[in-house]
Amino acid sequence: MSDSIWTDFATAQAREDGYLLATTISPSRPPSDPARLYNYLRWTNAGSVQTDLRYKLQYNPDLHLDKKESSNWLEVFTAYYHFTARLLSAEEAQNTSQRAREADWNGVYESWKDVLNAVYRGYTSDVFDAWTIPCLYVVAKYMRIFAIKADESATAAAQREQRDTGMAFGLQDEDGFNTSSNSKNEKLEDAARHINRIFALCLGDRSPLEDSRKWALYYIANLLFKTYFRLNSVPLSKNILRSLSAQAAGELPPLSRFPKAHQVTFKYYSGVIAFLSEDYAAAEEHLESAYKMCLHSSNDSAAQTATATATTRNRDLILTYLIPTKLLTSHRLPTPTLLSQSPHLTSLFAPITSAIKHADLRAFTAALESGEDEFVKRRIYLTLERGRDILLRNLFRKVFIAGGFEAAAKEGEAPARRTRVPVWEFAAALQMRGAEVGDGEGGVDGDEVECLVANAIYKNFMKGYIARDRGIVVLSKAGAFPGTGV
Amino acid sequence: MQTAPAYTPVAARQTLQRPFMPAQPQKQAWPPAVRGYVGRAFDPESMIPGIEGPIVAERLRDVITKAAEARQLDTIDWSTYPLPQVLIKAEREQAAFHGGAIPVPANLYSLLPPPNVQAWAGQLNKRKNDEVETTLEEEDAITPPWKKKNKGNLEDRMSGKSKAQEKKQKKIILLHANGFGADSDVLAKRKQRFGMTTPEPSPYLSSRDDSPEPAGPLVGTCQTIEKSYFRLTAPPSPEVVRPFAVLEKALNHIRRKWREEHNYNFACDQLKSMRQDLTVQHIQNELTVKVYECHARIALEMKDLGEYNQCQTQLRTLYKMNLGGNPEEFIAYRILYIIYTCNRTDMNNVLADLTSADKQKPGVKHALQVRSALASGNYHRFFRLYLSAPFMGGYLLDMIIQRERLAAMAAMCRAYKPDVSLNYLAEELAFSSDDEGPEDPDATQRQCLEFLCLHGGEPFVERKEHGTVRFQTGKAMAVFEGARAAAFRGVDIKGQI
Repeated sequence: MSDSIWTDFATAQAREDGYLLATTISPSRPPSDPARLYNYLRWTNAGSVQTDLRYKLQYNPDLHLDKKESSNWLEVFTAYYHFTARLLSAEEAQNTSQRAREADWNGVYESWKDVLNAVYRGYTSDVFDAWTIPCLYVVAKYMRIFAIKADESATAAAQREQRDTGMAFGLQDEDGFNTSSNSKNEKLEDAARHINRIFALCLGDRSPLEDSRKWALYYIANLLFKTYFRLNSVPLSKNILRSLSAQAAGELPPLSRFPKAHQVTFKYYSGVIAFLSEDYAAAEEHLESAYKMCLHSSNDSAAQTATATATTRNRDLILTYLIPTKLLTSHRLPTPTLLSQSPHLTSLFAPITSAIKHADLRAFTAALESGEDEFVKRRIYLTLERGRDILLRNLFRKVFIAGGFEAAAKEGEAPARRTRVPVWEFAAALQMRGAEVGDGEGGVDGDEVECLVANAIYKNFMKGYIARDRGIVVLSKAGAFPGTGV
Repeated sequence: MQTAPAYTPVAARQTLQRPFMPAQPQKQAWPPAVRGYVGRAFDPESMIPGIEGPIVAERLRDVITKAAEARQLDTIDWSTYPLPQVLIKAEREQAAFHGGAIPVPANLYSLLPPPNVQAWAGQLNKRKNDEVETTLEEEDAITPPWKKKNKGNLEDRMSGKSKAQEKKQKKIILLHANGFGADSDVLAKRKQRFGMTTPEPSPYLSSRDDSPEPAGPLVGTCQTIEKSYFRLTAPPSPEVVRPFAVLEKALNHIRRKWREEHNYNFACDQLKSMRQDLTVQHIQNELTVKVYECHARIALEMKDLGEYNQCQTQLRTLYKMNLGGNPEEFIAYRILYIIYTCNRTDMNNVLADLTSADKQKPGVKHALQVRSALASGNYHRFFRLYLSAPFMGGYLLDMIIQRERLAAMAAMCRAYKPDVSLNYLAEELAFSSDDEGPEDPDATQRQCLEFLCLHGGEPFVERKEHGTVRFQTGKAMAVFEGARAAAFRGVDIKGQI
């Protein structure tokens, strides 16, 4: 029976339960009624859908919608009906391997756009209340998903490639950057515009805060970030951040009052956007708070495995950017314990971290090379590369320590480290660890060694100076390597 | 796409004569029949209200040029050929008819799209180039002239179909078009059968008929080798666009002239107009790659990074289509260019685009080494790489050498105490005297000294007794740190996306 959709609708309206309401226009089936979409499609036909819906919405004794509201819902459910037809036929084609190519995801996308527009109109004409905003979440979320699907099938149509995903609208690598440059993103760009419209719709709401669409802002903003990242147009995200921060105090509820999921995601994207624009201090702050919230919630819901895996995934994503950030801001490396929590993080960072720790340039270069594709895809290559500075610091520090102590000038004084280190000692260390400082003729290019030392001094990894004519490096007596206890 | 701010206006052609038609020696002597036709067109009696003189004149020119190009001036029966104003009127009526009266198909012919037209339409959408928006009318302009002989043929002409498609579509047209159109089709066919077309069709026509996309984009007919650039504001007409064969000659011509005269204004202008001609005709082949590569190299040499960047952007697309050329060279330039612009996002993207095969190529490898050296602040290695740049990479590195010297100076001033020899600085900062013959240490030191003084280092230069010159690095720290920061502030290039 198609009734579950209407009982849910009536219950949601009576209880003002936005999330339940949103399920009635969602493309995903509720677990309690997996056949809901089929039933809805069979319940009426294209000819009489309007009439049938009118009975359900306007003459239904369980519902108390005013005339405008019910006619708006009528529009929504009519569009939803046509969409359902498209979706089911596309899914059917998709599941039949020989007809998979015929699946009309473009049609699904377009008909979902009609649903979005119908819902959108409900808000622009101020007919839908603020408690119904989860409906906006649903339309915006699936707009993006179907757009990706439509673009993919357009690309695949050319490439004659068909993946058979278990789920009809399978979610692919959602947070990644879309690096395949030959795929087209026509629909996704279109979807971004529509989601942006929804963002503007919520941002412009002047109702009092307790009854405002502004509560949808962070969810929609996150969705936009996700979309822009995939479109490789991260700079557009800054517009969103700007318009959010332009809201004066009192105009927008504080972030902490929003659902935790919205908060964590928003912090994560803010952090990554800061990371990409090389504002590592801000990146550290945002990512750290996202990480803490994420850690906290994983303790709460450890019982549910599904949530737990999602949390693990989120934590990995946050750490993917937080670890390189920490490397740069505070020169800190992740502990093996932290990395061991996730095989993904281990494979990503363990080799490079251990190379830096052991000041092994050869291993560092190898780790950077072997991970290059993944690093570049995640946009962390250019940041990780700067770990070389820390590695060299560690190496030079080892040289300094190996130099030992000088005899105390006076009886009873603590022995002082030898602070005058010949350049050739650094050269030898660099040679041992695989730095390419050769002069091409089997010798060592002393100028290049000096250059590396000079850089360490310039970047404040090392205190001291080079006395070129004497061929020595004079290191500071106190704190020659700031922050390392030496 | 090609939004260069350089406008080079050219005078619009005002005469009926085609100044550049080597294939038309009789261009001055129009046959009397044609002159009669022109006379009729301007006869006050044949005026149609609402169709102004200038429009008629333009259309008239169009008709005659087409006929002349097809060498049909003598074969057309000018006394019965419909007057330009009649053609215009019929067209307008047709447009109005299609625009309003028919409820379902806004355009009748959308019901029966010939396959080629469809392909072409798709192409048009993809390109989104508003300069090239060739309308149906535009295609109309290149319809073989014999179709214009009969009034009834008008409808077919309006549909923008070529002869080949016309045949394919004939049956359907018979069903759809009015009886008039059907008659005319038969007529046109008969005329062709009886050799109304010249036995030796003009090269333009034959090339059109043989080409795989007969309904494709505009094909130019201009035979001039040199043509100035003019930013289009409307679809160009074929007589001002040079076809492929002419463009090929033009490229060689420009290259030769560039070698001989080294006049950048001329070369840039000519190459831009070539790029435009290629674009409006949708020519994307080896020649296109050559033109863009040629322009990119010349622009690099002249440090015109705005133009260079435009070419580079196009080349990226062209290389993806595997049309040959020198991707290695230009990938290397692209990396160096991004180093110059300090655009981290672009650098990320270019790294993501590189295949491992790309990375093995010496040119690309060099560029990547430059990138890596600069990223780690290894000025020593950077200046060695600067001296060994392959292809024309040196020109791009010249753009950044000054600021990297300042960066190196900032580091060295911080690290070296109390002073270093000028000789060492000159060598480390890759000053070379190669323009002045064999290696001359004095000359390099002089250059280095000039550089130091230019950036406020003069007070720290010290001449010792033995004639050696020292630079007091320890004291110059603040000066060069400031100079470095100033040099990296703001890299602004016109045309940068």
